[in-house]
Amino acid sequence: MNNAAEQKLVLSHLWVAFIAFVVACLLGEYQVLERSGLFPALDSTRVYFASVSTHGVLMAFVLTTFFIMGFGYYVAVSSLKQPLWNLPLAWASFWIALVGTVLAAIPLLTGNASVLYTFYPPIVAHAAFYIGATLLVVGSWLWCAIMLVTFGQWKKAHPGAPVPLAMFATAANALLWLWTSAGVAVEVLFQLIPLSLGWIDTIDPGLARTLFAWTLHPIVYFWLIPTYIAFYVFVPKQAGGYLFSDEMARAAFIVLVVFALPIGFHHLYMDPEQGQGWKLLHGIGTFVVALPTLVTGFTVIASLEIAGRLRGGKGLFGWILTLPWTNPMVLAVILSLLMLIFGGFGGIVNASYAMNAMVHNTAWVPGHFHLIFGGTTIIMYIAIAYYLWPLLVGKPLFSKNLALMQLWTWFIGMSILTTPWHVLGLLGQPRRISTVVYNNLLTLAWQPYEFMMILGGLVLLGSACLLIYILAKTQLAPAAETFAEEVEYATPIHAVSTLPEYLNGFKLWNKVIAVLMAISFGFPILQFFFMDTFGSSAWGY
Amino acid sequence: MEQLTEEERKRIIESPPVGTFALMSVVLGGMVVAWLFLYYGVFLPRG
Repeated sequence: MNNAAEQKLVLSHLWVAFIAFVVACLLGEYQVLERSGLFPALDSTRVYFASVSTHGVLMAFVLTTFFIMGFGYYVAVSSLKQPLWNLPLAWASFWIALVGTVLAAIPLLTGNASVLYTFYPPIVAHAAFYIGATLLVVGSWLWCAIMLVTFGQWKKAHPGAPVPLAMFATAANALLWLWTSAGVAVEVLFQLIPLSLGWIDTIDPGLARTLFAWTLHPIVYFWLIPTYIAFYVFVPKQAGGYLFSDEMARAAFIVLVVFALPIGFHHLYMDPEQGQGWKLLHGIGTFVVALPTLVTGFTVIASLEIAGRLRGGKGLFGWILTLPWTNPMVLAVILSLLMLIFGGFGGIVNASYAMNAMVHNTAWVPGHFHLIFGGTTIIMYIAIAYYLWPLLVGKPLFSKNLALMQLWTWFIGMSILTTPWHVLGLLGQPRRISTVVYNNLLTLAWQPYEFMMILGGLVLLGSACLLIYILAKTQLAPAAETFAEEVEYATPIHAVSTLPEYLNGFKLWNKVIAVLMAISFGFPILQFFFMDTFGSSAWGY
Repeated sequence: MEQLTEEERKRIIESPPVGTFALMSVVLGGMVVAWLFLYYGVFLPRG
């Protein structure tokens, strides 16, 4: 990407993402300190829940959305080798999303939107929070439009040619996000904003939670797809090898998009508003969506194995040692996969219909999603940043050794934070609590784990600050006249010259998604209009 | 890094990824064992 205007667009998105990230890390450390109950001076339920809500929104909505948009623009321009369609619209999208973020931040930081990032009605926030969140989503919808139009224009200009894998996956993510965000958009527009403005007196929390469940699981894959894109299109080349299979990668992205959507009720296993049969149906779908992750794991590890063997690795596992562990992208993928193994296991426990009851409302759940999101996903966002920053600013990375140290500390910190979190869940510590009072033997047993979590949070905060330092030093370094590196996308072992349309577009899959969503969410939503339900008054703000 | 001949490169690239199969088997087997432990060792005893 040599166009300065597009580079500025991408960098603007990524800076917003990483500034939100480091602020959220700071809040996270405050939360483990406060929740531990070991520092009475910090005890404040009001501040704690304001902090948790801000932390969740910054991490889950701001960091991810801005990173995904910026990365998507980079992929579109660099993989398709054409200018971005409608640059002014892309800037409009950026500013709408940024204004929305600032608007939502005001009630969050003043304690008037302590509804957590999952909203949880009938707790209600100031209307500015919901309107700000809506603007953030509207900005992301414009991004989706830009990605899909760019995708369509390229296909029209290159009839029959396979769309580059990176852009195929980015367009898949745009389509996924349009479907994903529809549920929460309906909830916010027709339930939460009218309630927060006093236009309606009551809300049906069952309907609201059902609509949020529509969004709550596929949003995880919206966050995860850039990570998988890096797995497939950057890692094999950085490791010195080839992508094991382009077609398998496309199939994995398709299955991911199609089956990530109709499965959200595993978040509602303990809720009364949906029947057991619907929950079981969604539970089965949850296991289906594990398939593309397995395929991804296989393809990426096979690509690494080829690279390791080309570098002289012998034997069944000798190739692991010959991989270039000092390459930030390769180190990050190894650490990311390690966290995916443990986080994926936690996810299987969550999805297990009966066993879910043991962990559902415990500390196990935040431990799980921090490991998958903060671990597997974010470490690859960081690796992508280390790879793209020099290409975007035209200067070499400030320090590869510091980058490697930052990745290791992120992995170590996340392990120290999330392992005791899982254990606390099994010991019975509830989630969504602001303070632990050590006045009996049960809670006293939690104390050592709380200490470990404080330590893990500190390591993560230090690691996040180091990331910002490395990126800023790279960008602010004197101009390097000799720096002329370009992005390198991995080539598959067997190049693809033609592909069937179902592996090169989404028309068929869009229809399949529509049918599956109608089956899995049709009656569960319509039932609220067929039966008498009693609304709940708003409370909280 | 070893200098490979073109024939050696081709053989490596076209060989089945046996190490990956082995690694995936170990990981999946470990997950099954861990799940069974949690189900029979923790979940069921809690009633």
